[in-house]
Amino acid sequence: MTTVRSTPEASTLGRRLRRLPWTLVAALVFLGILAVAVIAPQALATHDPFALDYPASLRAPSAAHWFGTDESGRDLYSRVIWGARESVLIGLGAAAVGLAGAILLGSLAALGPRPVRATVDRFVEILFAFPALLLALLLVAIAGPSALTQIFAVGLGTAPGYARMVRGQILTAKDSGYVRAAVALGHSRSRIVRSHILPNALRPLVAIFALSVGQSIVWASSLSFLGLGVAPPASEWGALLDAGRSYIVQAGWLVVIPGLVIVALALTATTIGRHVQAGLERGEKS
Amino acid sequence: MRFTPTAAGATGLAAILALSACAGATTSTGERVDGGTIVYAHQQEPFCVFGGWIEQAYLSYQVLDNLTSLDENHEVVPWLATEWSTSEDGLTWTFTLKDGVEFTDGSPLTAEVVAYNFDYWVSGGNSTALVWLQDYYASAEAIDELTVQINLSAPYPRLADNLTQGYFGIQSQVALETRTDEENCAAPIGSGAFIVDHWDRGEEIVLVRNDEYTSWPANAEHTGPAYVEEIVWRFVPDATTRVAALQSGEVDAIYDVPAVQWQTLDDAGYQLEKYVTPGRPQQLAFNTQVGPFTDVLVRQAFAYSLDRRAAVEAIGQGVIPYEGNGGVSQTTPGYSQAAADWYDYDPEKANALLDEAGWTERDADGFRTKDGERLHVVLPYGAGSIINADGAAILQGVKEQASQVGFDVELIPVPLSELVAGAYSQPAERDINVGYWTAVTAGILYINWRPSTEEAPNYSNGAFYNDEVLAQLIRDANSAADIDEQNALYIEAQDYIAERALSIGLYDRLSTLAVDTSLKGVWQEHAQGGPTFYDAYLTE
Repeated sequence: MTTVRSTPEASTLGRRLRRLPWTLVAALVFLGILAVAVIAPQALATHDPFALDYPASLRAPSAAHWFGTDESGRDLYSRVIWGARESVLIGLGAAAVGLAGAILLGSLAALGPRPVRATVDRFVEILFAFPALLLALLLVAIAGPSALTQIFAVGLGTAPGYARMVRGQILTAKDSGYVRAAVALGHSRSRIVRSHILPNALRPLVAIFALSVGQSIVWASSLSFLGLGVAPPASEWGALLDAGRSYIVQAGWLVVIPGLVIVALALTATTIGRHVQAGLERGEKS
Repeated sequence: MRFTPTAAGATGLAAILALSACAGATTSTGERVDGGTIVYAHQQEPFCVFGGWIEQAYLSYQVLDNLTSLDENHEVVPWLATEWSTSEDGLTWTFTLKDGVEFTDGSPLTAEVVAYNFDYWVSGGNSTALVWLQDYYASAEAIDELTVQINLSAPYPRLADNLTQGYFGIQSQVALETRTDEENCAAPIGSGAFIVDHWDRGEEIVLVRNDEYTSWPANAEHTGPAYVEEIVWRFVPDATTRVAALQSGEVDAIYDVPAVQWQTLDDAGYQLEKYVTPGRPQQLAFNTQVGPFTDVLVRQAFAYSLDRRAAVEAIGQGVIPYEGNGGVSQTTPGYSQAAADWYDYDPEKANALLDEAGWTERDADGFRTKDGERLHVVLPYGAGSIINADGAAILQGVKEQASQVGFDVELIPVPLSELVAGAYSQPAERDINVGYWTAVTAGILYINWRPSTEEAPNYSNGAFYNDEVLAQLIRDANSAADIDEQNALYIEAQDYIAERALSIGLYDRLSTLAVDTSLKGVWQEHAQGGPTFYDAYLTE
């Protein structure tokens, strides 16, 4: 009889995996499934997400239709899988737009000449005066509902909060010992900003980005739920939730399942974001 | 016993389901209660109480009286007019008015006031009254205190029928002349069973009883003032919320019952009312001036590509009737069944027609192309206003079915504010126009198909189809004195529209009500199916 022993590397990896919190493992598994749904939805979907099958309308979840069917007999599971791409891309896009805006505004507010700093500060304060969702609604009202509008609307809504954070990080870095040392060594202003201030100030944003993806997805879904997102019959998750609302009594799965998927994605992004944040903090301490 | 979050959730869910199952109509002894308040939940809030939109007609019907009313047999019966007659040439109508009627501002109803109202409508006071009258109305004059004469430029034998619609409510001349437009918009002064008390915009309109009411229509079920003291006309756009409000007892009646909730409410004992409105059904009119639908073969291919009946029957759950006729709905006098049956679902024929029209290639997404251009068509729709949630689901079926033969249909939900601002009203902006227009006669065809000219633009011609042959056919029908001859001409016009696939029907527009059993005597007026609360009363 041959005994198969695990290699030291494999057992180390196994130990590491076992040490991971179960929430993170669940988040990573969900992220993996989501990645497949985004890249190759046809690998996971069981039906054409748009195919009508009127005789099979409003069927409860079953072996034939795992998540049930909607009012037109479309397979909800396949629609959720195909909708992942739009939902995730909108979430990622909105987080990227929000963060890019935040970096621009935050950097100008911290490093710009005095008049620029004052102007940017007042501008961010004005943005703060409006609830974020109201800002998003305003942009949708001006540009009309679409995925692109949703990305910019949600991004615009999240940017002011993160801009304040970026500004704070840059100001902290600016006053640090290593920057003072760089100044004493005669480094140019642009080199100090490029090599010392920005890399140190922006590192925490990696975690913030992951966190904001979850928030952005929830906000984008809210806009779709209000009928201000992508046009039907697109299966973006917020739109699915909105479409299912009319059938909440007769076919509760049309609301519960898209709702759960949105929650799962938001939790995944938050869990991973927090883990990254904790990792960065540990790195800074060591 | 451990009480876990899962157990708590399960208990909560079970409780909700149990409560939902128990929700039902109030049990009532049927004894009439004097006075009281009816709370009614309506779908859409209009801009003014009186105006050219059906949502306004529903409201003004409670506040204003018309000259004539339509009974359940679709016969025209007296209201403010006790009798009427036409001259032999059909150009002069004479109405005799009810004596002793006063508007709620104390001014009397006279022939002069009625003549003033006709002039007011055609000068823009009511956009829908204007389009009905504009090519026929010449003048109105008071012959004596209670006799008014309407002079026409061409015979219109169904004038008295048309005057039953809420767009033709008679207002106080004093109020129109002395009050601001804003005042008359928010609270028009009529002689109706109710008076507008106040309007909390975005919330509700409160109507109070007119205790001096003397001018009920001949088809009313009682005489004297209304039974209830007050109507709270609440605006609840979301259908699910309206149904929940009815089930919880928060409101006594709701408008526009979702098809999927119909059976549930019926089983629970609510009084359900359904009125298939005559006039133009929910239909698809094709842009005949710009884009792929300028080719009749493409229009016909689109019509053959759709299994409209399957979509309507599935989404409509047996409540919403399928309508194949793009001209008028099946409850309209002079309806053409042949026009309704013109295009059965036949994808093979659709494919052959598209091949013949030169749309022979397919792109990577499977859509047809011609000279490198995709067969892309734009279908905007008034989401939540012209098209409700059931209608939107049917349109998604249209998009998917048409895609099977190679059409790339872009559905664009358009908010009401944008529609009012003129979005998608130009030929370059849309390929398909979806929508309805309620009416009591097939005379609606003239409104929808009158050629649009620079001098007299016709924004209601959804197909942008300017054809004098069709227009003359409908004009002949409008003026035909003999009812059979008139219906034959209207049928000919519908067949003309169907043959050229200018417009195809989807489903008939409904006015639906669900009423708690504690509220009795609510009926749907027969011109447009709006709720009538004059005879309504609450019971113990």
